[in-house]
Amino acid sequence: MADEVLAPMPGKITRILVKPGDDVLEDEEVLVLEAMKMDNPIFAPSNGKVKEIRVKEGEEVDVDHVLLIIE
Amino acid sequence: MLEAILNGLGGLVAGFQALALDWRSIIMIVIGCILLFLGIKKDCEPLLLVPIGFGCILVNIPLSDLMAKEGFLRVIYDAGVDTELFPLLIFIGIGAMTDFGPVLAQPSTFLLGAAGQFGIFLTLLMALFFGFTKLEAVSIGIIGACDGPTAIYVTSKYAPHLLGAVSVAAYSYMALVPVIQPPIMRAMTTQAERATVMKYKARPVSKTTKILFPLVITILGGLIAPKGLPLLGSIMLGNLMRESGVVSRLTKASENEIANVVTLFLGLCIGATMSGAAFLRPQTLIVLGLGFVAICLDTVCGILFAKGMRVLSGGKINPLIGAAGISAFPMAARVVQREGIKYNKKSYLLMHAMGANAGGQVGSVIAAAVMLSVLAGMGIIS
Amino acid sequence: MEMDNTTFGLTMLICGMGGTLLTLWIMSLVMTALGRLFPEKAEPKKEG
Repeated sequence: MADEVLAPMPGKITRILVKPGDDVLEDEEVLVLEAMKMDNPIFAPSNGKVKEIRVKEGEEVDVDHVLLIIE
Repeated sequence: MLEAILNGLGGLVAGFQALALDWRSIIMIVIGCILLFLGIKKDCEPLLLVPIGFGCILVNIPLSDLMAKEGFLRVIYDAGVDTELFPLLIFIGIGAMTDFGPVLAQPSTFLLGAAGQFGIFLTLLMALFFGFTKLEAVSIGIIGACDGPTAIYVTSKYAPHLLGAVSVAAYSYMALVPVIQPPIMRAMTTQAERATVMKYKARPVSKTTKILFPLVITILGGLIAPKGLPLLGSIMLGNLMRESGVVSRLTKASENEIANVVTLFLGLCIGATMSGAAFLRPQTLIVLGLGFVAICLDTVCGILFAKGMRVLSGGKINPLIGAAGISAFPMAARVVQREGIKYNKKSYLLMHAMGANAGGQVGSVIAAAVMLSVLAGMGIIS
Repeated sequence: MEMDNTTFGLTMLICGMGGTLLTLWIMSLVMTALGRLFPEKAEPKKEG
C-alpha cells in the first residue's frame, strides 16, 4: 500500500529530511518546501518506510507534483 | 570680560538646565531609547523604529531648534509629511513589490480583504465615545488599516498632533500580528473548522489581466472614492510598473532607492513629532489601546466573514484565512499558514491566505478612500 | 460641523463598511470578467 506525498503548492524543495529506506511515522516532517519566501514543512501522511524520493534539493515543483512515496 | 566668559559658558550649560526644567523631555528620550532597543536588539520593524526612535531623542533634547521654523527636521517634515508626499512615495514602492496574482486567480478572496477592514470603523465609533473629535477618531480608526503609509497619510492630514501616537501604534501592532492573531483565531473557530483542508488549484492569470488590474482598479476606485485617489493611484502605479515589465529601472528604483530614502526621512519626521508635550498625554495611551483593539476587531471580522463564506460554500473554506484579510502583508498570510498547519498537518493555507492578504492590501486603501470620500460627502472635510 | 458624534459614527460605520465591501465586490466582479476576457491561453489578443 503506497502513499504518494504530493506538493500542496508550487515552490522549491529546500531540504529533504529522509532517505529511501528510512522508517517514518505519521506526521513526521519529511521535506521542506519553500513557497512565497516561507519555509513550509511537509509531513508524512502515514506510518511506513520511504520507498522512493522523486525530487532533489533545489528542485522547483508544481502543485500535485509527486514528492515521495511511502509504503 | 568675566561676564562675557560666564555668558559663554552659560550657553554650554543651558541645555542641562532646560532638561531639568521639563521632565517630559527626559521621559521621551527614554522612550526614544526604548524604540531603538526594540528596533536594534529585538528586530522589531527596525527600518522604521530606528529613525523614529532617534528622531524622538533628537527632538526632545532642548534648545536645539531642530523642529523650529528653519530646523532641518522641520524642513524635511514640511517637504514630505505635511505635503503627504512621503507616504505616497512609499506606497509606489509597495505596489511595485506586491504580486496580486493569487488574488486575481480567485477574486472572491478580495472580499476577505474588505471584512478585514471593519475594525477601522468599529474603532472609529469607540474613539468617539472616548471623547475624541471626529477627525481624531478617523485617524485613530485608520490604525486598523494595518498599513503604515495609509495611517500616516490620513493622520498627518487630519490630526497631525496624533501622528506620533498613531504611527507608533500602527507599526508596533503590525509587527505584533503573529502574537495578536493566533489566540483570536483559535477562540473563534472550532477544531473541525480550523482543520479544513483547502486544495490549491493553480489558476493561471494572463499577463494582460495583471496589467489591466491596476489600471481598472485606479479608474474605478478613483471614481467611487476620489478622495483616496492619491493613495490608490500610488500603489497601483507601482504595481502597473511591475507588471508591465518594461520599466524595470523605475520599478527597481521605487522598491529600493526611493522607498529606502523616504522611509528614512519619514521615520525621522515621525520621531520629530514626538515631543514630550505632544506625546505624554493620557490621549496617547488611549490611542495605543484603541489601535490594539482595531487590529483585534479586524481579525474578528475577517474570521466571521470567512465563516460565513464557509457556510455558503458548503464547508470548503477554512475560516482561518479570514485573519489574513488585513493589510499586514505578507505577515498575516504566513501566520495563517503556520496556524493552519498546526491544526492539521495536511492543511496548506498559504496560497489562499496570500490572496486574502493581498486583498487586504487593496481593501485597506479602498477603506481609507471610502472613509475620506464619505467625510467629504458629509461636508466634514473639504 | 453640527452633526453629533453618534450620528457621525454610525454613518461612518454603515457607509464605510458598506462602501468598502461594495467597492471591493464590484472590483472582484470586474477582475473575474477581465480574467475571462483575457485568459491565460495561447493567443494573447491585442484588445483595446
